[in-house]
Amino acid sequence: MIHIFDGALGTMLQAGGLQPGACPELMNIEKPDIVRGIHEAYIRAGATIIETNTFGASTLKLAHYGLADRMAELNAAAVRIAKEAADSHAKVAGSIGPTGRFIEPLGDLPFDEAYSVFFTQAKALAEAGADYLIIETCIDLQEMRAALLAAKDACALPVICQLSYSEDGRTVTGTDPQSAAVTLEAMGASIIGVNCSLGPEQLVPIVRTLAENCRVPISVLPNAGMPYLEDGETKFPMGPDDFGAWGPKLAAAGATYIGGCCGTTPEHIRALAEAVKGCEEPKRNVSPRRLMLASRTRTVTIDKELPTVLIGERINPTGRKKLAAEIRDGSLLSVKKEAVNQAKAGAKLLDVNMGVGGIDQTAAMRNAVTEISQITDAPLAIDTSDATALEAGLRAYPGRALINSVSAEEARLREFLPLAKRYGAAILCLPLTDEGVPKTARERVGVMHRIIRAAKEAGLSDGDFLLDALVMTISADANACHEVMETLRLYRKEFGYPSTMGLSNISFGLPNRPLINSTFFAMCLAAGLDAPIMNPYDDTMQNALMASAALLGKDPNGLAYSKNEANLSVPKAAATAKITELDAMSAIKQAVIEGEKDGIAELVAKAIREGHDSNEITEKALTAAMNDIGVDFGAGRVFLPQVLLSAETMRAAFDKLKELLPAQKANDKGTVVIATVKGDVHDLGKNITGALLANSGFRLIDLGKDVDAAEIVKAAIENKADIVGLCALMTTTMIQIDKVIEQLHAAGCAAKVMVGGAALTQEYADAAGADAYAPDGVKAVQLAKQMVGID
Amino acid sequence: MPIYNAPLLQIDAKETRRYAGLQKAENFSEERILNACEEAALLAVPRGIWEIYPYDCAAQTVLDESPFAIEGKSVGKHLAGCEKIILLAATVGEAVESQVTKLFEDGEYSASVLLDAAATAAVEQIADAMEKTIRQKMAREGYTMRWRFSPGYGDWPLEQQPELIRLSRAEEIDIHLSAALMLIPRKSITAAIGLARNTKTSEPSHTPKGCASCDKRDCPSRFIPDAGTQP
Repeated sequence: MIHIFDGALGTMLQAGGLQPGACPELMNIEKPDIVRGIHEAYIRAGATIIETNTFGASTLKLAHYGLADRMAELNAAAVRIAKEAADSHAKVAGSIGPTGRFIEPLGDLPFDEAYSVFFTQAKALAEAGADYLIIETCIDLQEMRAALLAAKDACALPVICQLSYSEDGRTVTGTDPQSAAVTLEAMGASIIGVNCSLGPEQLVPIVRTLAENCRVPISVLPNAGMPYLEDGETKFPMGPDDFGAWGPKLAAAGATYIGGCCGTTPEHIRALAEAVKGCEEPKRNVSPRRLMLASRTRTVTIDKELPTVLIGERINPTGRKKLAAEIRDGSLLSVKKEAVNQAKAGAKLLDVNMGVGGIDQTAAMRNAVTEISQITDAPLAIDTSDATALEAGLRAYPGRALINSVSAEEARLREFLPLAKRYGAAILCLPLTDEGVPKTARERVGVMHRIIRAAKEAGLSDGDFLLDALVMTISADANACHEVMETLRLYRKEFGYPSTMGLSNISFGLPNRPLINSTFFAMCLAAGLDAPIMNPYDDTMQNALMASAALLGKDPNGLAYSKNEANLSVPKAAATAKITELDAMSAIKQAVIEGEKDGIAELVAKAIREGHDSNEITEKALTAAMNDIGVDFGAGRVFLPQVLLSAETMRAAFDKLKELLPAQKANDKGTVVIATVKGDVHDLGKNITGALLANSGFRLIDLGKDVDAAEIVKAAIENKADIVGLCALMTTTMIQIDKVIEQLHAAGCAAKVMVGGAALTQEYADAAGADAYAPDGVKAVQLAKQMVGID
Repeated sequence: MPIYNAPLLQIDAKETRRYAGLQKAENFSEERILNACEEAALLAVPRGIWEIYPYDCAAQTVLDESPFAIEGKSVGKHLAGCEKIILLAATVGEAVESQVTKLFEDGEYSASVLLDAAATAAVEQIADAMEKTIRQKMAREGYTMRWRFSPGYGDWPLEQQPELIRLSRAEEIDIHLSAALMLIPRKSITAAIGLARNTKTSEPSHTPKGCASCDKRDCPSRFIPDAGTQP
């Protein structure tokens, strides 16, 4: 059966006398007849569920009208009116809208504050007698999580969760419908859906994706298109019949609760109800629920039919002093780097372990989860033995996480399983008991049965489990490998759930561990390992995985294997080969032009061995190269970052020259005092110019940024500067240039003045009395040479 | 006082290339660009804030308890027909900036310039993400958004920057102005976005012009239609 929701409330309230800028929910008290009349109109049109006039009746929203203290009263009144109108003909859904703010770290609203706001409203609606709660129009999954958690804590009513999506099929904060469905179903949403922002046509594929990724009913409340203004009136493009015609298509895509949002009227709902009359309930996929984990923006499925999923183990301070020290100091930079790098190396899930002694585990886990989820879309495994830290991590995570791990130890089962259920997390099941590690595969399977039974009693179900085969070391137990193979086979046979393990323990105490580890890895993959926990930077492991995928048919016919460059017999030719074929001087010049810094020191040493002196190397190789680059730059063939690579190479060459021939002085072409003027803090352009001058043989005195005119004048005189270079980036600071030039002249300084910076022009430079205007650093070098009479 | 700190999962490499002045460069290492994007994403602390005000088009004035009269013909023309105005501010914070400086001091000139470009791409991306969240809500209320316009564009004087800071409440996300009216942190932006009533026909004249509206034709980052994405 298709359930019919009502349509828009706001526009009808306006028609009923709601003034612009007034609180819509106050109508529940001041004009209850109007509100009731709207409900009745929708029920007459065929709605079987109506929504209360409480979309903005949270304390946070009501505070805008100074009505926060009337929250319970306004919600209760709304439910009462709706129930009166519904009589026995329709159900009443208590409407809860978003707070209008983003949850931390996306915004400034703490998760717990949002939770409290939703809790009080949900409780008020439930106590007044609503049949459902509907949390709608949310644009952020994390806000929806806070609301759902609060609604389920506040009452036992079924909760409908509806996000709003944009044209790109994601919420504006990036959540795709699959990740929404996976996350919200696991947290216990009764109905998952979508409303507002798009018309019915654009919502069909979103409904389909939602339906394919969860097993609860799907709801959809589209807009009648987007509003526009015509003759001073707000209108919507889609009429009742057009709107209604989409009903059967939305039902076919998987929706069983259909209604309308902005721009829909009782006429739209009537047309919709007519159109879906006789529509059959859509057929949903009933295959066993698979293990799916989700970040805010991406879902990862672990399944025997799918490619192996690497779980990156590197966010773990155990045995890593530097990382541990950083975490202790409260810095998460290396943790974030590990997250990004592991994902780049192919990890699809990231294990997060903050196990550093002597720190607040709860805060550390909360911060790590928060920060990591801002920078990667790989779902997380929260790895801790501390229930409080686990809860903090799960609460902060805007998606569906994996708990690493739940063993058969009494305390674990008691503390962790309810958290998994409450936050919709999956669990990594570890066959350990209070008595210790079961040795044989049979025993492990027995323990696993105990864990799964307890988990199911706690409300978890298929799709929530990842089974660890538990790896012991072969140097202590000759049968360790056999038992793991057998455990994997039995897991698949008896449970059918995907499997995992930490691999490297197998080789503990043996030499050449990578060989044992990668061989073991390949054997496990053949025995049914789905998601290894490993170091994704380990090439031997990655190679074993690549080869195994080809052998086991997960990379059909070895197609990916064949494309991988590492497996090709002829490696790509080294691009720098030609430099080595040149004589030393030409090679230096070529290396500078190409910005090949790495080999330059060796080339300089070679040139010196061949009898070239410092002066010669500088003039014939280095300066000659820079001249060529200058020409290419001027002609638009070479660009600034490339010039800078050449300058870096020059610098490395000069350093080597100074080291090998300290007695021979590099050319002193003259002294340049350079500064960014007072008030201006942009200094990258000035730095670039300085670096190029210094590497062209000028003695550089860089005074930095935001430099007072008097200081520039003083430095120019004291250093007997040949040239003063002034930089200003903005129209508000370039007037300082006039001031510096004036003071230089007043002080009798004979230095030439060169100016540059984004806002400057030749005209301005002329008017200010500068000797030259340099539009870029390369030109500045050419001008400087002219000023000192070299070119 | 809406605040939205957009996550930076990936900084746009193509835009980074453009800001580094490399659009026309052939064979410049993509790896160097990607490294810069990655480093910027790690160091950036994205923050964004905005406020929506009624706007008096004829008087070119943002209506607030202390109104703000916007100066400049170009911005006036850009906002013609708007009933409301969004004033926003966004930043990537100080840490990227410090690393740009440090890299240069260490002689990593090129990496420094590329990181600077990636940070520019990042702050634009943050503002784009903010716009996206606002656009959906505004569309629902029947408004279309004009593209971002900032002091310094056309003849809108930089001297009006303090008013943008005040009305966008930029100081709440730690964006300040120097005495010379520079934004600190340096990789920050302030902007105005006009909101006009949606009419039945869309307004093609208000699709983003970006670089095309700027007079600095020799700018190395000026958008080249077939070399990169439209800014």
